[in-house]
Amino acid sequence: MRVSTSMFTNNFLPQINTLEQSENHLQSQASSGLNMSLPEDNPVAMGKVLDLQAQTSANAQYQKNISKLQTAATDVSNALSSLQPLISKASQIAISASNVATRDNLPNDAEQVEALLQQIVQIGNTKDASGNYIFGGTQNDKPPFVATTDASGNVTSVAYQGNTDVLSGEIAPGLTMTSQIPGANTTGTGPQGLLVDSRTGADIFSHLITLQSDLASNNLDAVSNADLQAVNKDDDHIISQVSANGVVQSALESASNNSAQQGTTLSTQISNTTSADLAQTLTKLSQTQTAYQAALQSGVLIMNLSILQYLQ
Amino acid sequence: MLGLFGTLNLGARSLSVEQQASEVTGNNLANVNNPNYSRQRLVIVNSAPLPVPQGQEGTGVDATGIEAIRDNYLNNQIVSQSSITGSLSSQQSALQDAETYLNEQIQNSSAANTPAGSQNGIAATLSSLFDAFQSLSLQPGDLSERQTVVATAQQLANQFNQVSTQLGTLRTNINQSIQSDVDASNQDLKDIAQLNLEIANATAAGGSANELVDQRQQKLEDLASKINFTSSTESNGAVDITIGGVRMVGGSTAGNFLQTYTVGQDVYVQSTTGVPMTGMTGGSINGSIAARDGGMQDLQNGLDSLASNLIDQVNSTYSAGYDLNGNTGQNFFTGTDAASIGVNAALAASPSTFQASGSATAPGDNTVALEMAQLGNKNVGGLNNQTFSQNYATTVSTLGNAIASVTDQLNNSQAVGQMLGNQRLSVSGVNTDEEMTNLLQFQKAYQASAELISTINSMLETVINMKSAG
Repeated sequence: MRVSTSMFTNNFLPQINTLEQSENHLQSQASSGLNMSLPEDNPVAMGKVLDLQAQTSANAQYQKNISKLQTAATDVSNALSSLQPLISKASQIAISASNVATRDNLPNDAEQVEALLQQIVQIGNTKDASGNYIFGGTQNDKPPFVATTDASGNVTSVAYQGNTDVLSGEIAPGLTMTSQIPGANTTGTGPQGLLVDSRTGADIFSHLITLQSDLASNNLDAVSNADLQAVNKDDDHIISQVSANGVVQSALESASNNSAQQGTTLSTQISNTTSADLAQTLTKLSQTQTAYQAALQSGVLIMNLSILQYLQ
Repeated sequence: MLGLFGTLNLGARSLSVEQQASEVTGNNLANVNNPNYSRQRLVIVNSAPLPVPQGQEGTGVDATGIEAIRDNYLNNQIVSQSSITGSLSSQQSALQDAETYLNEQIQNSSAANTPAGSQNGIAATLSSLFDAFQSLSLQPGDLSERQTVVATAQQLANQFNQVSTQLGTLRTNINQSIQSDVDASNQDLKDIAQLNLEIANATAAGGSANELVDQRQQKLEDLASKINFTSSTESNGAVDITIGGVRMVGGSTAGNFLQTYTVGQDVYVQSTTGVPMTGMTGGSINGSIAARDGGMQDLQNGLDSLASNLIDQVNSTYSAGYDLNGNTGQNFFTGTDAASIGVNAALAASPSTFQASGSATAPGDNTVALEMAQLGNKNVGGLNNQTFSQNYATTVSTLGNAIASVTDQLNNSQAVGQMLGNQRLSVSGVNTDEEMTNLLQFQKAYQASAELISTINSMLETVINMKSAG
């Protein structure tokens, strides 16, 4: 092939340019640790990364959701822990009153039951950190339990003004969970009520009101025959609520672990897709540099030579 | 026999031929860096011989012309290759602009334990919006959660609007560049017709028109880079040009030209006789139209369909919800597509009007907020049963594919162009070493011819002295 003078430069410049592009590309890979940047670099991987990124973001949000549900479950658990000794105490009072040997001071017992009642109403009206009533169902903007008292200050009835709906949050795609318990549920469907539930027969307020009035009126038959059983039913109900709360907490814990695991997996997948192989990149970079040097050296050598140097 | 005077004459013609050959060499050397130049050489032939008793005797040398060394087949191939490269390169530049505006770029995250990703585009904000819905679903009555949702939605709407506006500007720029390519092509057509005329005149007088042919080749390549054409060469050297079936240049007349016409906002090209230039396969005009109506339109359609489905889905869920005052029936998003999407202005002013609850009276109800959060994982019928994020990822990777494919083709086409260019340089390019060597040759021949004249001169003197001596 005949070679004309401008062929040297015409070939030399694109070659140098290609090598420079390649160096630039490899250098940016080595410095960022990423093998791609724009959609055009690797369209398929780009689509995949955006999808994984959306999943990662959603997964991180699920973890936040879980942690909020855990906080709510802890609030419920704390309330249950405070309730349990109060109900036990009521049960003890009923037991000791129904036994002739241990019967002591009935009016005093009645007063104690009255005090328990008021404490339980207070627990029923617990608020969370944001000031919402946790046992009002989704009607969380007003105290769920309202006590009516008689002239002597004794509670005669407690009304529930919450509802039986609970708030559930998503903890994994398509999987929702609640850690909320409504204060009372007499509808026979839906989540069990904390203090009153028609299905288990629990009705702490009316049972304690009856116990209190039976103790005050010295109606010991009723205390030993009916009231004690009723209070024990309430105690069983609370115990089952505690265990239900435990189930929720452990389910949330396991969801949280799953989600953390999922986050790690997603992270690894993204990094597998986007990370540059440093060893490979650096080796290629050094090869390219060698080629670049060789091209420059040979180019300068050849372009400097001409017949003119030898003509006198 | 030439005789002494005939030989003297032979020497004189020889001097003149060697001198002219040196001139041609000088011209070659002067044009060594002219990319359009085809090297020339003096065509040297034997002078007409004299009949002599021994047969024929040579009478020296004559120069009959200056020819340019070029390969017309290669030149035609370079013209077609210019069309292909022109089309691909304008497609690449338009689509890369669109890619820039989309602003989806994988970067390392500054946050600890966060993988690299695209943080600044629609993808990230779309995820944030659904995350904000999720967050709200756990505290449906919380005003700051509501505020976050509204702010994130506004950011997303702004990004949609911005990309859409930028694509619109890009479209306008492309339309303008089509117009300026058409103007430049028309100028090329006029120039080619004028050069045809000059070339025909020069060759009719029996000469060569090397410089003019080089210039015309340059114009042909320039025209081809804008629009592809077919050409044929007439016997007088003129080149006729047909674009899209319409004869534009016939001999020395540029009879027809290109002009633009508008459909909607978009510019297309037709001949001045009204024949639309559809089905063009090469040139930057074709490339601009292909990118505008292809990859860019796909991107715009993808964004519009994503935005409109997002608006529909979110609104149909949201409008059934109740705000903290028990009101219902409002929409969350306004607008219909990427250009017009916005967030209900009342929400930004008072987040309590956000309809998160499924009940008019229970502010702790999250039914609607949760449903909106769950839209993030919903396979939407209007988006080919993809989720919003998946659909957007597909749109981005479709654009990426379009650019990657055009870039590959462009690299190939440029490599072919480079090879053809080299082949042409190999045939037509000037080599200084060669020219200098030729120059030495011509110089030595010139010296020899001068020596001949001086020898004949002394022979003539001898003859004249003989007479005077006698």
